[in-house]
Amino acid sequence: MVKWSLLGATTLALGATTLALAATAAQAADSKPIVIGIPIGLSGANSVVAPSVVQSAELAVEEINAKGGVLGRKLALEVADDASGAAGAQKAFDSLIYQKKVDVLISMETSAARNAGLPAVTKGKVPYIYTSFYEGHSCNKNMFVDAWVPEQQVPPVVDAFKAKGAKTYFLIGSDYAFGRGMLGFTKSYVEKTGGKVLGEEYLPMDGSDWTAIISKLKEAKPDALITSTAGGAPNVTLTKQLRGAGVALPFANLALDEGTAKSMGADADGVYLSASYVTGIDSPENKTFLAAMQKKFGAELRTPNDLSVPEYEAIYLYKAAVEKAGGTETAKVLEALPTVSVTGPRGTIRMNKQHHAPLTMYLGQIQKDGTVKVAGTFKDVDPGEQCPKLQ
Amino acid sequence: MLETLPAAGRIAPPPRRRLAVAAPCVVAGLAAMALWIAPAVLDTFAVNVLTRSMIYAVLAVTVDLLWGFAGILTFGQAAFFGVGAYATAMILTALGATPAGFAAALATAIAAPALLGLVVGWLSFYHRSTPLYASVISLVVPIVVVQLIYAGGESTGSSSGLVGFDVLPLEIAGYFRLAALVLVLVTLVAWILVRSDAGRALVALRDNEARCAYLGLNPRRLQILLTAALAAVAGLAGFLFANASGVVAPENAGFLFGTELVIWVALGGRGTLLGPVLGTIAIDYLAANLSGDLPFLWQLLLGTAFVIIIILLPGGLADLVGRLWRVLPIGRRTRAAPHLVARVAAPEAAGTGVPILKVENLAKAYGALTVLEGIDLEIRAGELVSLVGPNGAGKTTLMRCLSDGTEPFTGAVAIGGTAITGLTPNRIVGLGVGRKFQVASVFESLSVADCLRLARAPHDGLSPVGQAETLGLPQAALDVLRMTGLDHLLTPPTRLLSHGQKQALELAMVVALEPRLILLDEPTAGLTKAERTTIGTVLKALTTGRGIAAVLVEHDLDFVREISSRIVVLHQGRLVLDGTVEAVVGSELVRTIYSGGAHG
Amino acid sequence: MLLTLDILTTAAILFIVSIGLLAIFGVLKIINFAHGAWLTVGAYCAVVTAKLGLNPWAALPLAFVVGAALGGLAEHFIIRPLYRRPLDAILATWGLGIVVGQLVTLAFGRDVQMTPNLFAGTIAILGVEYSAYRLVALGIALAIGLLFALTIERTRLGLSARAVIMNETLARSLGIDTGRVRLVVFMIGAGLAALAGVLLTPLTSVDPNMGVSWLIGAFMLVMVADASYLALAAACLVFGAAQVLISTFVSPILGSIAIAVLAALVLRISPKGFSRA
Repeated sequence: MVKWSLLGATTLALGATTLALAATAAQAADSKPIVIGIPIGLSGANSVVAPSVVQSAELAVEEINAKGGVLGRKLALEVADDASGAAGAQKAFDSLIYQKKVDVLISMETSAARNAGLPAVTKGKVPYIYTSFYEGHSCNKNMFVDAWVPEQQVPPVVDAFKAKGAKTYFLIGSDYAFGRGMLGFTKSYVEKTGGKVLGEEYLPMDGSDWTAIISKLKEAKPDALITSTAGGAPNVTLTKQLRGAGVALPFANLALDEGTAKSMGADADGVYLSASYVTGIDSPENKTFLAAMQKKFGAELRTPNDLSVPEYEAIYLYKAAVEKAGGTETAKVLEALPTVSVTGPRGTIRMNKQHHAPLTMYLGQIQKDGTVKVAGTFKDVDPGEQCPKLQ
Repeated sequence: MLETLPAAGRIAPPPRRRLAVAAPCVVAGLAAMALWIAPAVLDTFAVNVLTRSMIYAVLAVTVDLLWGFAGILTFGQAAFFGVGAYATAMILTALGATPAGFAAALATAIAAPALLGLVVGWLSFYHRSTPLYASVISLVVPIVVVQLIYAGGESTGSSSGLVGFDVLPLEIAGYFRLAALVLVLVTLVAWILVRSDAGRALVALRDNEARCAYLGLNPRRLQILLTAALAAVAGLAGFLFANASGVVAPENAGFLFGTELVIWVALGGRGTLLGPVLGTIAIDYLAANLSGDLPFLWQLLLGTAFVIIIILLPGGLADLVGRLWRVLPIGRRTRAAPHLVARVAAPEAAGTGVPILKVENLAKAYGALTVLEGIDLEIRAGELVSLVGPNGAGKTTLMRCLSDGTEPFTGAVAIGGTAITGLTPNRIVGLGVGRKFQVASVFESLSVADCLRLARAPHDGLSPVGQAETLGLPQAALDVLRMTGLDHLLTPPTRLLSHGQKQALELAMVVALEPRLILLDEPTAGLTKAERTTIGTVLKALTTGRGIAAVLVEHDLDFVREISSRIVVLHQGRLVLDGTVEAVVGSELVRTIYSGGAHG
Repeated sequence: MLLTLDILTTAAILFIVSIGLLAIFGVLKIINFAHGAWLTVGAYCAVVTAKLGLNPWAALPLAFVVGAALGGLAEHFIIRPLYRRPLDAILATWGLGIVVGQLVTLAFGRDVQMTPNLFAGTIAILGVEYSAYRLVALGIALAIGLLFALTIERTRLGLSARAVIMNETLARSLGIDTGRVRLVVFMIGAGLAALAGVLLTPLTSVDPNMGVSWLIGAFMLVMVADASYLALAAACLVFGAAQVLISTFVSPILGSIAIAVLAALVLRISPKGFSRA
């Protein structure tokens, strides 16, 4: 039933080597499965999105195992709750690395949880593919990222607003690394492209009263509004209060996903978002993927999204790297990771020497029924200079 | 000149006492050794997780000292921990793994939280602050600290925290041993402290803050210093944490972590030190093992267990274990009673002509209700003045105004020539005033000996490491004890005493202060005839023999007649009579007031 | 103008959120740390109302009843045994808050819930387009305040409650069933908190943790108000104004901790807070 194929040119070209290596590897490799660790926020802030990420990982593993696994070994998953925070992440990473002795970690997490886990990743010498979009510039020799950073996500939005004639912008965010990182980049990009930022305001993550900021926004009278809050609750709160105050500007929400947009109902109508994945991508890979998800999970299906699809693809990236490296040895896998590529629902993904991935970005607009209409496609947007020291 | 009372001559052999101090050290040594070997036996995961658990357990010890012993329910230890951890991470990021870097990090990680602790202490504790207020402040502190961390941008890493800074060059097992060592040491010091005489002062603060103040101890200063000192310990734990985990995050300083600490301490058993330590390690280790299996259920179970423990088993699991333990027929030692020793009081300065108490035109009102009005009174050394009058005449209010300068009153009150307006009770005690309350005010969970020792604290100090073997008291206090038989009851907690015994104990405590002026609010209420006679004798001895002045509120006119040198009659907030016993008792006015007043 | 409206409506929302807490604090002398959980329960009543297809305003009576009923159970099983241990009562209510939050999560999931808007759109008032719902909230706050005042000043329950607030021992000796007063007041307080939860739904996300962000501000306001609803109204105005002004002219980040910090300082300087004024 797996209709989705690896088209990585490198992998194909090196197929012969892989086979040769596979023979030696097969002797060493017992029938023990390759274990993929997923430290993730099953509880806490990320618990809304975590099930969809786990589901897509399960699909990837099932597909790969049905095709004979990796180098003759099956894949297995170990999921650990990090409670969406640093303290939980320390426990989850420790448990996966030292107790479950996983071969690789592949997961999306909050930046705090990711950072909290990195020392264990370094000490435990395991490869780690981080599959969440984030504010950028997190560098570790063991970590690769296959999701977007501000350099990739912001330009489509600002360019689209500029094309519509917007010259002045107002930026609102939650006071945390992602919010500040996104809007900081947005501001510099807006100014670089000749626009003007009239205001940049932040509220603490657990803040619930945006009144003063909204009043400032109304008095500034910008052409467009760009927000970047923490996911979930603050995003919904801000949007409700913006709509309540009658704000009807062109409005892009850098922290919005399709699921949250649905829970906002009418308030999300017309809002722009920018993502490397939306369910409406018109490609055979995406359609196959969605159908497979639907078939595997049925009524239990959590809508695939920009956080769950990179997880799915990252497992295939890891598979390609292991096959190329001829085993799961960390140093070799890390060497192989930037040389392999896969074509998945988001298109062809290949991570670069700076451990980040050029991605095709989509500009979407929320429709009345909560679905996302693709309003623009931007091919292979480069992540820019993320980790020059890793090169 | 020291006279040992044969009645109290319970011989407590010194060697056993030394053992009492030595035993915890031996236990701690064994624990440290066991933990030193442990990394060789445990797997890496357990070593890693337990390292953090032990650091958290250090925090649990500080929470237990504050909450379990001193009665200050705090959610703020997380903030001090976070400040220590962030100070470490920020300094190490800037200076790198140099000896100077580590020294600066360690010093700042201890000093910064201590300073913050002083500020928080100042905010939380003041004369008449409530425990609830202190708790709410302790909730605000971590919130503000976390907000500052978020707003710190690059320097604090905002929500992502700091990672990748240089840390102490130790292996995983090395950190485990370091954390174990610190935990054992902190617990040992705490253990010795709470079992020392000074440690009793913490419990005294929890039991009865007012009595502490009226013994001349400054509750505010004690609470502030305790907060700052334990903030420093929390900062040290933060230093360890930053090094051991290599990462710091805002949630390390958050109030949710603060509440978690309280939950661990409550489950383990507050006020037991070992309970919170073991509880914290057990719960945190369990949580690490169960993460992923039942994320939501885990919180639910923990929350439910917490509510149930708080309601049904306030002593926590340690209490449960303790109860089972006591069922076993294993010999238990009770605290040995100290030797009572008479202490010669410093000779009273010869009368300088200044009255000990001088009240001029004192008035006090609650809203529109005038309670006291135009009171003028002078009392000199050696006088025993009885204050009589029907209920509601303002007697107790007058006593309060004489002993608490922060009571809003008008007019002037001077003790030995010093005006007391605005002075807190402990400062007034320092001027030589001792006050006995109407309802016996003692420390319910302390022993009689401990109560008396606290009363002597302003004179003799309190040992922070051990229990003094002797208890020196002025002869008058010894007399009170001997005459009421309390000298045979030095070890049981005072809550087991009878009403009369508590009254006598409080009197002994006040007398032990060696005051110049003693204020007694119905010291004989609820006492037997014999006990009254005893107290009368003591008071007479104090005033005529030692030149102390006394003000006595009393309803029993016979008693008053027997012992007073002067009687003052208060009626409807005014001082209506002031004269010799014969003059007052024989007056028409007193008979009228008392026949209308309906009590004796 | 916008500023004045912001201040007034912010104060109104603060008042709505903290009045239930005040009732409980006044009579029972404990800070109900489960207050946030009751806000959440109330908001989920709005979710249920929407799922049943009822008029969104029907959530108000439903939430009050559900909140009061749960409050009655909590008072009986958790608060009452801790009558003489007020600090423990705080902890127990905190634990209760955790339990309620987890139960809501188990029942509804962690996701943000969609709720119908109670009152959408804007109204032109005094030359500015202003959020209609915030103005409605201002009216509701006044109505709640008025009802509360009438209950306190004009009913038998109010009289008993005032007696208990002033001197519980004396009240008992006068034949007031203080246990009953405590129960009823706790139920009313919990009901009002749940009501506030419904009224928050147009302004905030509805999820299992939604109550927490409102907690600290409400605590501080109630501490400052010290059992007086008039003082609470004054505190909401003063601190609400401080929050809006600091957010507008200095920084919203400082603004969001303004209430907690200023209230702490006010209490430090004048321990009786606003109640003396």
